[in-house]
Amino acid sequence: MSELKHLKEHWKDIFSCMGCGDCGYAIRPAVERYLVCPVKEAKGEEGFEITFSRGRMNVLKSILVGQIPLSKELAEWAYECSECGSCTEVCHMTHNENIALPTCNWIDHVQVWEALRKDLVDAGFAPLERHSNLIDYMNQDDMKNPYGEEKTKKFDWTKGISGLKEKGEFVFFGGCTMPLRQSETLKNMVKILQSAGKEIAISKDEWCCGSIALRIGDNQSLLKSIRHNIEEFKSMGAKVVFTACAGCYRTWKKDYPELLGEELPFEIKHITEVLIELLNNKQIPFQTQEEISKKVTYHDPCHLGRHMDLFEIPREVILKIPDIELVEMRRNRKNAWCCGAGGGVKSQYPELALEIAKERVNEAIESGAEILTTSCPFCIGNLKDAYDDMGPEIQGKIQVIDLLDLIASKL
Amino acid sequence: MTELYKKLEKIVSKTYISNDIYVRHAYSRNVDIVLQGVPDIVIRPKDAKEISEILKVANEENIPVIPRGGGDCEFGGSKPINDEGIVLDLKRMDNILNLDQENLIVTLESGISWGKLNEYLCHYGLYTGCMGPGSGMTASIGGGISHQSVGGGGCAKYGSCTNQLVSLEVVLPTGDIIETGSQANKFSKFPFNRFGNGPDLAGLFCGDNGIFGVKTKISLKVFPKPEYADYKTFLLPRKSAESAAQIMMEIRRKGIDVYDTMFITDVVVELGSKQGFFPLWEHIKKKKGMLFYIIEANSEAELRENVKALDDIILSKKSEYLGPEISDGNIAKWHYTEQGHWQFYHNLWGMFPSMQPLSAECFCPIHMFPQVVRDVDQWDIEHNEEMQKIFNITKIRPISGSGPIPLVDGNNVEVTAGFLSFWKYYEGELYEIIQETNLKLWKSLIKLLVKYGLQYYMMGEFMSRLMVEIGAYSEEYYNFMKSIKKILDPKMILSRGKYNFWEGEKI
Repeated sequence: MSELKHLKEHWKDIFSCMGCGDCGYAIRPAVERYLVCPVKEAKGEEGFEITFSRGRMNVLKSILVGQIPLSKELAEWAYECSECGSCTEVCHMTHNENIALPTCNWIDHVQVWEALRKDLVDAGFAPLERHSNLIDYMNQDDMKNPYGEEKTKKFDWTKGISGLKEKGEFVFFGGCTMPLRQSETLKNMVKILQSAGKEIAISKDEWCCGSIALRIGDNQSLLKSIRHNIEEFKSMGAKVVFTACAGCYRTWKKDYPELLGEELPFEIKHITEVLIELLNNKQIPFQTQEEISKKVTYHDPCHLGRHMDLFEIPREVILKIPDIELVEMRRNRKNAWCCGAGGGVKSQYPELALEIAKERVNEAIESGAEILTTSCPFCIGNLKDAYDDMGPEIQGKIQVIDLLDLIASKL
Repeated sequence: MTELYKKLEKIVSKTYISNDIYVRHAYSRNVDIVLQGVPDIVIRPKDAKEISEILKVANEENIPVIPRGGGDCEFGGSKPINDEGIVLDLKRMDNILNLDQENLIVTLESGISWGKLNEYLCHYGLYTGCMGPGSGMTASIGGGISHQSVGGGGCAKYGSCTNQLVSLEVVLPTGDIIETGSQANKFSKFPFNRFGNGPDLAGLFCGDNGIFGVKTKISLKVFPKPEYADYKTFLLPRKSAESAAQIMMEIRRKGIDVYDTMFITDVVVELGSKQGFFPLWEHIKKKKGMLFYIIEANSEAELRENVKALDDIILSKKSEYLGPEISDGNIAKWHYTEQGHWQFYHNLWGMFPSMQPLSAECFCPIHMFPQVVRDVDQWDIEHNEEMQKIFNITKIRPISGSGPIPLVDGNNVEVTAGFLSFWKYYEGELYEIIQETNLKLWKSLIKLLVKYGLQYYMMGEFMSRLMVEIGAYSEEYYNFMKSIKKILDPKMILSRGKYNFWEGEKI
């Protein structure tokens, strides 16, 4: 049997779970809580208890007391979780700051799932096949990205853009998904920032931030990447490193300092934090003035919202875009429904990720919005995939647009 | 794959049955980690017909079946008693079948949660009155009926959720399907009344703890939610339990139709505040018992009149009003307006890692509960030596007392008396001594309380067997219950082991 090193470190989380089941079933209209687990709901009637946190915690209790072992079969269950953290919110929240629940002192479900994944990796039952490929690509010297693309291709999007610096205090970290899959959005980002007078430095030797490996639980070679990235940006003279990827943001801002046990030598910002400063200073020169405003709804990416508590700034950004009316989906902020892409679900179980995203697109339509926007390339990618799969009837009702593209369209 | 599995799979199709080791362990516990039983098979049936077929197979094969709704029993009510049998997960059956707006009756599948049902009803200005148990966001209506549940809001006005029951569809242990109340008459077009057509056989299944049948379809009375409500919280004087009991009795004597009145014991207030769970009471210097009320009304005048009457009663007992806002300490507002009633008991769960309540939930006459609370304190002192054994390992002593005590309809309260203790797994080690001590202490305390004549309602594995073990039932009553069980379930298929029927005999 595996040593269960990581799970044992989280025994407090696991044995503080009493098994009330609110992580699977909570509906509490007074505080806008309408269900919890996107994976369980996407599984529909097939949703045995093991598809959500209570059942998984019960399994971990049995594992820790030696009743059942880790296995490949368990890994298949474990990697179906998108690690959105919605269960943790329900477990901790009374929805009122004046009353706290004891569980908030002990239980962090996402950390428990990641501990399980690490033990599965240590025991040789994980990574699963598709995840394994991603990590191999990420570690290869000629790639350093999980998409299996040549390393240099990640910087193709900058061709033809003038004014980008090799050194500077304000440095952009592109990550992998946007440069390789959503490069037009990045070009729009530069357009916005340059129109606001910002000088941007970009590295040509950044490596994958390692988010995928971390979420999968395989961080063996991660420290090398982390140190490389930090040294690279330090050498560029960075004071602020910003990114437009919610996953990279969480990894840089939360995971790097935790893994290293030290503060980073520069500040980490998400693009929405950069944008709000520019908007507050009226530095972004909006041009268009349409007569009829469009209704826009904002999807909270889990890595930005529940994981990093960044709920209001993206909304403040949207509110400052001309001719836009912000409408909320029924489930928003801490209650937001995950898009389904996170935690390695999109790569290993794409159909499951798609089902979850379809629910979110439908929820956006129910809000009355004409545009569904967000600020995470994983969410955008998955929501767009779902949208494309949903047919013309849905497509006539709403558009899915990255927040940067939305702003750029108003310049 | 066994023949049994193949037979069952044929009934529900392979998507809804599993004997996967991890799935089985996921269903091996309820809200309680001390009691565990791993099923052989888990099935998620879609309707009464499938359940009937499953039970027929279980009878042929002599394998026990345990129904499970939300899995929220604290006494092992919806997990196997030994490592065997079939768990019937009824959560797939969670649809609302009909809302009769003329007669204010809702008909639903038994696996639906109180939260989901009330979310549906609120769009029609309706609610269930009694909002089920404290775990109502997950707990099912079927489980509520099986346990006479209270505690999730509204129980002072509406009582146990079984008070609202109109009719039941039940699959009997042998597979027959019956309907009760008005639906016993096959010509009845819709459910409208529980009583009549002979004896109240629906009552047989209310609080049966899942031994007489599997509830599949339930019709409940629903109520228009009154437009007006007020809610106030008070700090009680010294001897808070006695004051709370006097206040509750006075409310009943004056016939004030209060929606909820709850006494929060000294130990909950003190401990919860110390651990930082009640920021709303941080400003209160002397942490003592609290009492709150919630009153509903159909007009402002009615509300004013009732609020005055309640305030007069409570303030005459030297209580201190804490103010209107939650931040002032008014937990009643959170309870009612933010549906905190479904989280109220969570403040006892997971206070320290691996800590859980080993208690028992019972109905108790109002005037008796202060003595019960005092005797639990005395019991704690008398069992200090055993408590120390646990302390020596965990460095935190188990905590005895009662959770919040709500007024129930009639002159009753619900008391959740017991102690918070640790499970045998602590900091990476297994300590069997903790498990042994827990069970010994738990039994000892419940034995003490049973002798008050208190009525336990959520009994599960633990309480149902303990009541028999300590000889609490009168012989005649126990034999009567056993005779009914024998007629309905000759092979003891359903919830085998509860109440110790046929203990030691060959089944």
